[in-house]
Amino acid sequence: MNAFVETAMLVVGFLLIIAGCYGLIRTYHLLKIVIGVEVAMKAVTMFIVLAGFINGKAALAQTFVITVIVIEVVVAVVAVGIAINLYNNYGSMDVRNLKKLKG
Amino acid sequence: MQVIEYSAVLFFAVPLAILLINILFPKQLAEKFSIYLAGIAAITQIAASAAGFLLLSAYRLHEYEFSFWDMTNAGSVRFGVNTFSLVILFCIGLVSLASILVANRTVDKKRAGYVNLLMMLMLGMNGMVMVTDLFSLYVFLEIVGIASFVLIAMFKSDTGLEGAFKYLVMSILASIMILTGLSFIFMQTGSLQYAHVVGMNLLEGQSSPQLMLIYAAMTLMIAGFGIKTGAVPFHSWLPDAHQSANTAVSVLLSGIVIKVAGIYGFIVLTGLFSKLPAVNMALAIMGTVSIIIGALFALRQNHFKRIVAYSSVSQMGYILLGLSAGSILGLLGAVVHVFNHATFKSTLFTNAAAVHEQTGTYDIDEMGGLEKKMPVTGFSSLAAFMSTAGIPPFAGFWSKLLIIMALWDSGFQLFAAIALFASIFTAVYFLRLQKKVFFGKLLSKFAGLTEIGGSIKFAQIMLTVVTIATGLFFPFALLYLKGIGIL
Repeated sequence: MNAFVETAMLVVGFLLIIAGCYGLIRTYHLLKIVIGVEVAMKAVTMFIVLAGFINGKAALAQTFVITVIVIEVVVAVVAVGIAINLYNNYGSMDVRNLKKLKG
Repeated sequence: MQVIEYSAVLFFAVPLAILLINILFPKQLAEKFSIYLAGIAAITQIAASAAGFLLLSAYRLHEYEFSFWDMTNAGSVRFGVNTFSLVILFCIGLVSLASILVANRTVDKKRAGYVNLLMMLMLGMNGMVMVTDLFSLYVFLEIVGIASFVLIAMFKSDTGLEGAFKYLVMSILASIMILTGLSFIFMQTGSLQYAHVVGMNLLEGQSSPQLMLIYAAMTLMIAGFGIKTGAVPFHSWLPDAHQSANTAVSVLLSGIVIKVAGIYGFIVLTGLFSKLPAVNMALAIMGTVSIIIGALFALRQNHFKRIVAYSSVSQMGYILLGLSAGSILGLLGAVVHVFNHATFKSTLFTNAAAVHEQTGTYDIDEMGGLEKKMPVTGFSSLAAFMSTAGIPPFAGFWSKLLIIMALWDSGFQLFAAIALFASIFTAVYFLRLQKKVFFGKLLSKFAGLTEIGGSIKFAQIMLTVVTIATGLFFPFALLYLKGIGIL
């Protein structure tokens, strides 16, 4: 039973990462890019929970997960802040505007 | 024993104290005086790391561990300093001081904001170098990352925001990879402290799915730290971010952030997983490709800061090669190259700031013959580029020599030969820069040009003196290291 749960969590985690990266690649919208990477980040917290479940250190894993969630929120806030400033400068959320730095 | 602990606690206490003072004071006062407070913090950091180095060798210790609360608790974070991390802490202080001196001229508005973020960045970098477990390393890595994104974006120019967004998306991908790798290692070991991970001996007695997970973890962590370093397959964000930031911020990013966030991660990885030859091989290949591709890209740029940024990609390759040797000599070469790169890359970005302040452009096609009008800038640029190219009396020569010797000893003769010949590319792209900007005929529109003065000139002279002095006295440093038993 345990082995089944572990494998299922691993597979679901990888699917979430792939879903996040697929969303990141397919969209041209700045906020949707942030959402995509956040989805992938959620999968990572799941891996940490799984690791704690397997090695029996669930308490340590929980402290890790809470710290990661806090960091993630801060990164998301900074990302959305930059996206809003880009919107103010360009008037659209299209990532194809970002073409000034090349070479 | 107590004295070492005081000097180690300073690395956390001083940036935090300045951050608090800066926030508590009224805004006008902070805008005016915060830059001096930041200078005090940087100088304290330099003094504390030098004192720590002397104290460690006086007590004949290689490392010293301490903790802010009870060390026996399961989750408590231990901090430690050793000889190599003190060198990196010294670099952090030196580059921060250079950045503050440049910012005194280039940052007009939002000085208090700049200083706050700089203190946060210093706190994050000091933490990364001093922690002794992988999860805390990740936490401080994110602090460094967040401070850098905001520093790039804070002036709200189109290019700055674009560079920051690219860096941010790449960085989140890097943290996803690093954290996934960490969770796989945590799955096997049940602890992420360096001592436990080394002691676990991960490779023996494992079934093949578990081995696969460990190799997956290594791949993910190498890719993650590779993104943070800007090594070649993952370098796309680096020139954009370093070019678009304010020059005072570029000094920080290129001078120290990529080294602490990326290279220090690799130092930890090679220390923890020295029994996996695949790690060393991956670093060697990534390093060689970085050296060549970075140099070739630098050859075709026309933006002063972009050339210097691609040069960082190329030089990071040398540091990775030094680490890939897997010996103490290679580690020493890598750390010395970190120090040398911190000094000469800060010099070059300081020169970029000086040239931009005086001429108003970064485009090297629009310049020419500036040496006659700006002799200090011209000479410091020459010294920095000779050091980068590894020309004998300068500091870069010794670190490259150590790296190539370590590679040859470890059986990577092919990589040693490539590293040796790729030095020519370094000389070529910097000669092109030097020729177009400083040599040749002075253009008529620059007839009234004057040398930069004030804090930028001071930064140039200070960094050039450090570069030349390191080059001249390096043999004594080697003898000293041999004396205290590191080599």
